[in-house]
Amino acid sequence: MEKTKKSTKRLATAKELNRVVTEFYLECHQAKAEGKPVGWMPPMNGAIELFYAMDLQPVFPENWSPVCAAFGLTPANFEVAEGMGYSQDLCGYLRNIVGFVHGMMGGDQVPLGGLPEPDLLVYASGGCIPAMKIFQIMEHRFPNAKVFRGDLPQVALEHIQPHHVEYAVHQMKQLIEFLTETTGRKLDYDRLADVVRLSDESCALWDEICTYRRHVPTPISAAEIGIMFVLVTRQGTQIAVDFLTKVRDELKERAENGVGIIEDERLRLFWDNIPLWYNMGLFNYFEKMGAVVVAETYSAAWSIRMDTSDPLKALAMKTLKSYPLVSCVSVETRKEMVLKACREYKIDGALLHSNKSCVPITLGQADIKRALEEELDIPSVVIDADHMDDRNFSPAQFQTRVDAFMEMLLEKKGLL
Amino acid sequence: MSSPTDFMSEFTRALEHPGELIDEISQSGKKAIGYFCTYTPVELIHATGAVPVRISGGPMRIDRADGLVPSFVCPYMRAGLERALSGDYENLFGLVQGYSCDVACGMFNVWKGNIPLSFYHILSLPYGDSSSAKLFFEQELKNLTERLADHGLEFSDTALSNSLDIYDDIRLTVLWLYDKRYKGELLLSAGDFYTVIRGVQVTPPERAEKLLSELVSSLKANTEKGSHTQDGTPILVSGSLVEDRSIFDLIERSGGRIVADDLCTGFRYFDPPSGDGKKAVHRLIERSIAHFPCPSRQLAKTRAPLLLDLARRSGARGVVFLIQKFCTPHLTDIPIVGRSLREEGVPYLVIEIEETGVMEGQAATRLQGFFEMIGD
Repeated sequence: MEKTKKSTKRLATAKELNRVVTEFYLECHQAKAEGKPVGWMPPMNGAIELFYAMDLQPVFPENWSPVCAAFGLTPANFEVAEGMGYSQDLCGYLRNIVGFVHGMMGGDQVPLGGLPEPDLLVYASGGCIPAMKIFQIMEHRFPNAKVFRGDLPQVALEHIQPHHVEYAVHQMKQLIEFLTETTGRKLDYDRLADVVRLSDESCALWDEICTYRRHVPTPISAAEIGIMFVLVTRQGTQIAVDFLTKVRDELKERAENGVGIIEDERLRLFWDNIPLWYNMGLFNYFEKMGAVVVAETYSAAWSIRMDTSDPLKALAMKTLKSYPLVSCVSVETRKEMVLKACREYKIDGALLHSNKSCVPITLGQADIKRALEEELDIPSVVIDADHMDDRNFSPAQFQTRVDAFMEMLLEKKGLL
Repeated sequence: MSSPTDFMSEFTRALEHPGELIDEISQSGKKAIGYFCTYTPVELIHATGAVPVRISGGPMRIDRADGLVPSFVCPYMRAGLERALSGDYENLFGLVQGYSCDVACGMFNVWKGNIPLSFYHILSLPYGDSSSAKLFFEQELKNLTERLADHGLEFSDTALSNSLDIYDDIRLTVLWLYDKRYKGELLLSAGDFYTVIRGVQVTPPERAEKLLSELVSSLKANTEKGSHTQDGTPILVSGSLVEDRSIFDLIERSGGRIVADDLCTGFRYFDPPSGDGKKAVHRLIERSIAHFPCPSRQLAKTRAPLLLDLARRSGARGVVFLIQKFCTPHLTDIPIVGRSLREEGVPYLVIEIEETGVMEGQAATRLQGFFEMIGD
């Protein structure tokens, strides 16, 4: 089994992904060339929609990491970061982007042209520690960038109260003030309402896409998860809505015609935690026994329906909710979410990725494992790996563990 | 008056057998509430009549906790969970945590799912110091008091004011000990010093206040008798929680003398001693916001000058980072903080530690080499 491998994509729309990704990075470089302010920010927050509404260019250094993994650039980036003293025990996203900005960034050979330098750094304390620390390091690397350091309440979804929302709305207003002052661009609130409507529309489409996972055989699998790129980078744009509409239409057609993602679907699996970006082909590995990874937890953070009647509050709510939705801030909610997905998608077994690069998602997995067994009689297996660093992934160990697990599942279903 | 041995044995017992201490609190009719982090508003908990007790980990073999959490997270947190799973904290009434790092937050939830306590509460703490941040914090504290009241733990402003006075007094006394140490006048080994100040964090505050005051009297008496002066290369230790005193003993045996620290179980727990404000809750908020910063809540570029200042004030010739393995906030700051230290002519050494024991041989060699390099 190979340590790094690309996934096999069966959806026609998923095959368009390369174009979608290339166009996004082209747009980022074009914006820089045309003097449009470029702002770097973490994913999963309402600043993305604000940027699009104010005609500013958002860039996502954390999400550049999966791109680096796909192009095989991570080992070189890790070498630079670790050479600077960043421990190998730190999150792979952090080490990758730190290595990138201090190493190959700006070089001629960087795929997609790399990332344009930031004019603005916009982030919040809160979210996970590595996400916050990445931007603190960026402040050093790009001393001329103007910095907005927000303050985000860390609160479990089930405990959100009015004062959390008020504080988050206040932070959004502070951000608007900062962007207005530093870029000279004024926010058109009608435009913001449009952007939020589009953002909500793409979330609704994503939710609809997910409903097709209920079909047996499933017309979509985790191997196609790259389509989420538009939810990460293009929230609030017509581009995201158009692309996801095409995906939805394709899935609808497949579901209506009973076309599964694999021919003979025998087992339906669930993946918890971030995928192995350097080995998305792993999602195809299970197919040899007729197993398909129907769903995963990670995508939930990017799809949060919004109350479009109050755009600013909607963005504040999105910012408050998205990180706790998939992390240990709200283990109870996360557990319920996994159970709901496993119930709705008729899951036979769960793959729990114990991810050395992501402690917040990994903590609480034992409780999820227990709940799956006790409440739904769904067995699960722990996979020790890392979403960025292939040095923490042992293919042989994976193979042994997963093969035995799938055999057990087949036997449980009376298919062996 | 108790002898120094009595202080030491009482604090040592509290640290090594936290379960016994919790049982005693419980038997006295009080409710013990545990916490992990120095950003937890202990004064507010105390003001409701409960007894805040910092959760201990301590050097131990991790067994049961590994069934619930991965091995690549903070060893202190794993050890604390191990204690809880072993029954050490079965008489704890509750757990309160101020959100600091990801692992503390995750562990709070793992405890909640696996350790049956009556009360669990986590606070969201603001990172900024604006008036809106303070208002937000006040609301979070109000929430906590309301939840505690639901469990029969009533709060009043007067009680909070009294609790703040007790904790302020403890902090002032400990900071007096720190000041003595800067001057080389504190006749306690590093191991004993940290046993005392960590003991303070797990002992009911009224008792800790009394023990500290007796310790101060005893130290003053010994100083008047003219005891020996300390030797060794003066250094500052910086890092997360350090619970294993053997690393402090090792530093001294290897030729170092700790004159200052930036530890979660040390200086950061006590500085600043108090906060200003007309209302008691504002005193608490102002102090919390002025906290000597943990890297989970502050930038490396903000921390670096504070460390340099501490090194200069204490006469430290170098910095030894004692980092709990896998500690993301600290490990991430080291390259930037380290560069600032180097640029100002302050050398540093990084040692990663685990609750399951220090790798003594390797650490000793590195420490000796470091002290030889920076010593006279």
